[in-house]
Amino acid sequence: MNEPVVELDGITKRFGDVVANDRVELTVDRGSVHVLLGENGAGKTTLMNVLYGLYEPNEGEIRIDGTPREFDSPRDAIDAGIGMIHQHFMLVDPMTVADNVVLGNEPRSRLGFTVDREAAREAVTDLTARYGFDVEPDAVVEDLSVGVQQRVEILKALYRGADILILDEPTAVLTPQEVEELFDIFDELTDQGKTIIFITHKLGEALGVADAITVLRDGETVGTVDTSTTSKRELAELMVGREVLLDVEKPPSSPGDVGLEVSDLTVTDDRGVDQVSSLDFQIREGEVFGIAGVDGNGQSELVEAITGLDVPDEGRVYFDGADVTTDSRRDRIEQGMAYIPEDRQHRGLVMDFELLQNGLLGSQHDPDFAPGGRIDWATLRQHVEDIIADYDVRPPNPDATAKSLSGGNQQKLVAGREFERDPRVVVASHPTRGLDVGSVEFVQEKLVELRNEGKAVLLVSSKLDEVQQLSDRLGVMYEGAFTDVVDPDDVTEEQLGLLMAGQDADGVTSVPAGDFEAEAEVGR
Amino acid sequence: MNASDLPSSVRRLLGSLVDASVRERIAISVAALFASLLVGAVVIMAAGLVATCKEPFLALGGSSFCYDPWEVYYQLFVSPFLNDFNTALMLKETTLLLFTGLAVAVAFRAGLFNIGAQGQLVFGALGSALAVLWGAAFVPTGVVGSLVLIPFGLVVGAVVGGLYGAVPGLLKAYADANEVITTIMLNFVATNVAFYLVSTYFKDPASQSVETKSVPAVAQLKPVLGRFESTSFSVWALLTGLALVVVIYYLLFHTSFGYDMRISGIQPAAAAYGGVDAERLVVGSMVLSGALSGLAGAVYVLMVLGRWRTGIPAVGFDGITVSILASNNPLGVVPAAFLFGILKSGSLSISFALGVPKQLVGVLRGLIILFVAMPEFFRMVGLKLGVGDRQPVATDGGRPVEGGDDDE
Repeated sequence: MNEPVVELDGITKRFGDVVANDRVELTVDRGSVHVLLGENGAGKTTLMNVLYGLYEPNEGEIRIDGTPREFDSPRDAIDAGIGMIHQHFMLVDPMTVADNVVLGNEPRSRLGFTVDREAAREAVTDLTARYGFDVEPDAVVEDLSVGVQQRVEILKALYRGADILILDEPTAVLTPQEVEELFDIFDELTDQGKTIIFITHKLGEALGVADAITVLRDGETVGTVDTSTTSKRELAELMVGREVLLDVEKPPSSPGDVGLEVSDLTVTDDRGVDQVSSLDFQIREGEVFGIAGVDGNGQSELVEAITGLDVPDEGRVYFDGADVTTDSRRDRIEQGMAYIPEDRQHRGLVMDFELLQNGLLGSQHDPDFAPGGRIDWATLRQHVEDIIADYDVRPPNPDATAKSLSGGNQQKLVAGREFERDPRVVVASHPTRGLDVGSVEFVQEKLVELRNEGKAVLLVSSKLDEVQQLSDRLGVMYEGAFTDVVDPDDVTEEQLGLLMAGQDADGVTSVPAGDFEAEAEVGR
Repeated sequence: MNASDLPSSVRRLLGSLVDASVRERIAISVAALFASLLVGAVVIMAAGLVATCKEPFLALGGSSFCYDPWEVYYQLFVSPFLNDFNTALMLKETTLLLFTGLAVAVAFRAGLFNIGAQGQLVFGALGSALAVLWGAAFVPTGVVGSLVLIPFGLVVGAVVGGLYGAVPGLLKAYADANEVITTIMLNFVATNVAFYLVSTYFKDPASQSVETKSVPAVAQLKPVLGRFESTSFSVWALLTGLALVVVIYYLLFHTSFGYDMRISGIQPAAAAYGGVDAERLVVGSMVLSGALSGLAGAVYVLMVLGRWRTGIPAVGFDGITVSILASNNPLGVVPAAFLFGILKSGSLSISFALGVPKQLVGVLRGLIILFVAMPEFFRMVGLKLGVGDRQPVATDGGRPVEGGDDDE
């Protein structure tokens, strides 16, 4: 043990004027799980892309097994025994597991013209047996769950002879159970002498699985700590550079009138299958209504029907008692709806526009910013500069493009733009997804602040601790309907897990989803 | 296709194009122009070697070269500025292409590929000619007549072109019909319907060809400047075109409607989120694009021919190339249209002055346009693939951002 297999020495990578990695030092021991921890934009992925040959470093040296190496492309890195599993899988969906694993390095039949499928199958079976993977070589990739697809990616890297596996935020797409299974796989792999570099910004995961943790901040190495001698609090401070509150303070709620009501709402998809079926709930002003659930149980469709991106097939949506079911998206913005979309890079921001122009999105017909249809740049610039200052968007440059910002800063800009509309109703869909602790804290505090100011807040999130902490009432969604609506202070994570899986949880007390007539009483 | 699949050398080349500043991009265009001239010179020499002529400009050993590249380029680029007739020809072409180039660029910005500029132009031209012929009966001659009839003709051309542009817009917005296909088809419809209408109902009985009567002189756009007397170029039309460049630029970059268009063009999902009504925007953009094409048609009738006649030149199609050359920027349309004007006038001079076959001139024009347009084209490809590293790759939970083009 304690034999360094990867050494990055003084790696500097610049993009134009921006220094993404500044003389970063990283030493990884053979057979260990090494976590690379840092906020979004700290330079973790950049550093690993340098190691994987995707970027050439401007300065510094890469040593593998003590030998200096230069990688022109991932091909060189693969030859040196490095494999990288990106968060976005690079699998061919309609092909089988075995076909995907050997893709690019197919065993050939004797004449060399055709792929030797049998040999491919055997190679994959050998690998799965050796590392104890539960993957069927003949299964078609598109039929597999995300967790299993990830294992196929790992198999692909192993098949190509990887000794060092880099995993970029592998847990972001997994359910809690799948995360456990992934960590079991880590154990199996390290037992057999493989080395794992694991990128994350989640403290709990880092502490749970790592042998050593290297923290990056603003492109620099803050330090490497031994997992056994550190704590969540210390890691959070190292990441953010200041003390972080891990719990949000929330005074008791004082609900007012009903701000948002959803009545008998049904949304079907293209195939005519119900994504949301006959859902009822009310959110009062000064209240956070949380929706928990595994992704894909109708949350996105529900949010789109409420925000006006989609028209429901049945049922009504009311703001302050007024029926807005068929109002356009623009009408709803004008009626005071703030909306943090789940995919900020797809919907919430125009990636090629500067922050300045992104500050206008949704307000482009607001007479304050565009009197008579002509954009008032001076007012807009002042407004965006205020958002940047109040929401601590970095870099504080209204003329930087949205895509040059890290995920957390992008989200802060979206949050600032939406919250500064002085909304009556706030819809936040996975508002802290992919954010680092500092930004998570910030966005969560803002949501509580809006609630305290008397806004009706709908919070959709797949993070249990988040919905539990922030919500006043919590609906658990499964296959388009609520399995239950509960008091978040009066339910355990285990019980929530059961409800999320569509099962009854014993001993849970339901609360009403709203003031409906008797038949709408909750607890289906 | 993913950027990381490309060899690193290709990635680096595309990346440096994507990262080029405006000044560098102009420098690249100029360098490409010179490169095309060099390649063109080789083509001229080779063609001259194959051709037979009485007086070769150069004889080397047993072989003789008929065409002098220097002379050809002199005619192509310098002669348009040398006499008033050539200059007028150059500016006439530039003027028409300002309108159609803008038309295509506006649609491109909104994410729509309007190949139907030609059809909209044909109908705009016909509408304008008929309206002016009809309206001439009601207005006095003289300056008043001009002040009424010319704007009237232009407006009718724009309205007819806009209405015809609305057709593919509506089809796309409400029937999900791809505008590339529908606009191509509607070009044929326009040409043939216009031909039928004129030959059956509006034909000038005194004429052998399929054309309307000539619009009265008061309705024709005059050259204004004495030196362009008896040419078919009007300074007024050019100034109108240049003014429209400014108007469209302002519309796109400083108004709410332009903002809606631009976000719809580069990131439709964000546009929907921002409250843009996609259907209305598609129709609105196509109407605007069609109106600009129709205006080109009206200018063609009132400035060039004085009537509608079958066989209108492909100004609408050239507008597509002009727009690409200008990277769909209204301001860039001016130099791009100007280059086309020079090439048009210059190639006519070559045909008059030199014995160079017009096919060879066509090859030279094609080379120049190809060379100048390609860097912009590859830059668009690079942007699409997300290469280049002026901006650090932002990560969202470790996922490289691929701009706005990964919409489902």
